[in-house]
Amino acid sequence: MVRIILLLVLTISPLTALAETSLAKSDLNNQQLQQLIRQVETQYNGESAHALTTMSVSTENWQRTLSMEFWSWQRERFLTRILRPAKEKGVGTLKIDREVWNYLPKVDRVIKIPSSMMGGAWMGSHITNDDLVKSSHVDKDYQFTLLSADELSYQIECLPWPDTPTVWGKLIYTIDRPTLTPKQIRYFDEEMILVRTIYFDQLQKTGERIIPMRMRVQPADKPGEQTVLHYQSIEFDTGIGPAFFSLRNLKKR
Amino acid sequence: MLIKLAFFNLWRNSRRTLLTLSAMVISAAMLILALGIFSGMFADMLASTTEQYHGHIVISKKGYQDKRDLYLHFPVTAEPTQKLMQTLKQQTQVRGISTRLRSFGLLSHGNESRPAELLGVEFAAEADVTTLRHKLIAGHYPDGSRRDEGIIGSTLARRLNIQPGQQLVFVTQAADGSIGNDLLHVSGIFTSGDQLRDGSLVLVDQCWLRELMVLPDVVHEIALRVEQPLLAADLATQLQTRLGPNYEVLDWGKLLPQMQEVIASYDVSRMILVLILYSAAGLGVLNTFYMSVMERSHEFGILLATGMPPAQLRRLVLLESLILGLIATCCALVLGGALTLYMEQVGIDLSDSISAVTYAGGTIAPRLRAVHEWGNYWLPAVCLLAVSLLASYLPARRASKLQPVDVIRGL
Repeated sequence: MVRIILLLVLTISPLTALAETSLAKSDLNNQQLQQLIRQVETQYNGESAHALTTMSVSTENWQRTLSMEFWSWQRERFLTRILRPAKEKGVGTLKIDREVWNYLPKVDRVIKIPSSMMGGAWMGSHITNDDLVKSSHVDKDYQFTLLSADELSYQIECLPWPDTPTVWGKLIYTIDRPTLTPKQIRYFDEEMILVRTIYFDQLQKTGERIIPMRMRVQPADKPGEQTVLHYQSIEFDTGIGPAFFSLRNLKKR
Repeated sequence: MLIKLAFFNLWRNSRRTLLTLSAMVISAAMLILALGIFSGMFADMLASTTEQYHGHIVISKKGYQDKRDLYLHFPVTAEPTQKLMQTLKQQTQVRGISTRLRSFGLLSHGNESRPAELLGVEFAAEADVTTLRHKLIAGHYPDGSRRDEGIIGSTLARRLNIQPGQQLVFVTQAADGSIGNDLLHVSGIFTSGDQLRDGSLVLVDQCWLRELMVLPDVVHEIALRVEQPLLAADLATQLQTRLGPNYEVLDWGKLLPQMQEVIASYDVSRMILVLILYSAAGLGVLNTFYMSVMERSHEFGILLATGMPPAQLRRLVLLESLILGLIATCCALVLGGALTLYMEQVGIDLSDSISAVTYAGGTIAPRLRAVHEWGNYWLPAVCLLAVSLLASYLPARRASKLQPVDVIRGL
């Protein structure tokens, strides 16, 4: 009797495991996963986009809120400029492909961010310069595995391709299944220690798309700190071409 | 009587005595010179680390030196700090006091930008603590006539492609989170030989940096220069007790633990050097004395036969070597001192064949220069005396054990 039960257990358990994986496989293949991640990473881009945002940064020592205007073209170029507070009005950032420049109206100079400083904070927030440059390439630099899938969400694990220099050791996306929008992204370093989590909420339909209007960056080692990027408005396909994203336009006030 | 006899014996065979003497004098004098040069290199290294950046003692909020946390600052105008400054000024040990504000950020000129460390100082006070003022290779040291002036490390200047008289942009995150940025006028370029400082350090006006950083009335550290660096640790302990646990008073030995190791290893290698040189010199002395005792067996036999007690004979031989040792020590001290003095005043420039070496955080300059240090004299002197006494003990013992009848017969 015991033997039969053992036999049963032994034969059934791999079967169920097989069933699960085949379910996952049938659900989304590798290419579809990549497509999904790409869609998440470019949710705010479109062919071109224009947005008004506020960014609230809280750290142990200070809190502040910036109002900013964003323009982007595909995912290769973007330009942003601070509208408020008055002290920093006109401070801008231009990204073209993998390079970033800042414009400082007080001294009327443009500064190129050197590669050694790409890990540094962007505008004092918990977003790094690298985030501006590399995050949009996640679908190219990483390979994907579907960790779990239920009716409400997908969990996708991203590991860097061998020999691809990446900032992160692992990413885990939690994606809302009905809307295919991100709920949260967890970022791990090379030792697989959680570094930060980005939460998304306040879904809104804008044109054809449903996008989260609020994004919250939470560093893992400083639970009291966070950066909240809130989209006040966003419009897509505004007709802005790549030529708009120039150093000359960066300096325009 | 015995002393007279010992002198007489030494001068009886003056050639032998002079030969022994010269061997002892030269080995000891050379040792004094070698130790002097050794100390010179060490002093150079210590000076390069402490006098180019840290100072001998640094006072800061606890934990600041570890984390360099922007917010670990203390008010400079508040009464306790002012009182502390007053006390420090009254200390005769303290030669210079400089308050400093530190910021890390991005320096940019044209298309080039580099990360840099900005040290906000009062230029006049800083010159009493560090020697960067004397390391300028271009431009001038800021005289306080304008607030946006600074001096910049040579490697950083080259990377940014900047000359004195030109302007840089400095950007950093200010203490209130805003983007602090301003133009900085380069008045001079310094080169310290230390790659780390030359490649990242910029000295700027404290008020200018304070405004940019939105940090009114605070500093990160007070750096001190003291009269005798080797005594800095004592003063640091005193200050620590006075300031309490919220502050951290570090002497250069704690700021640069590697340097402390260098000193320890220096002491050990000094001992090894002394040991090697003196075992050679000791064997020479032993040989000479042994031979002289052997030669004089006949004479000693007669002395013993005429009634001199063996113990006194032993003392006589020991006394001879003691006298020789004393004369040798005096000559060696004079000669060694003169050589060291020459190396201190003139030195040997090696910059044609080697360049500056950075080691354990210190920079060894490409030149040989000696310094006077008490230990470099007494150690060779004491060892020389000890060696000559030790080396003569065996022959003395032998002389006292001679059988008068045998030696007089010539057996």
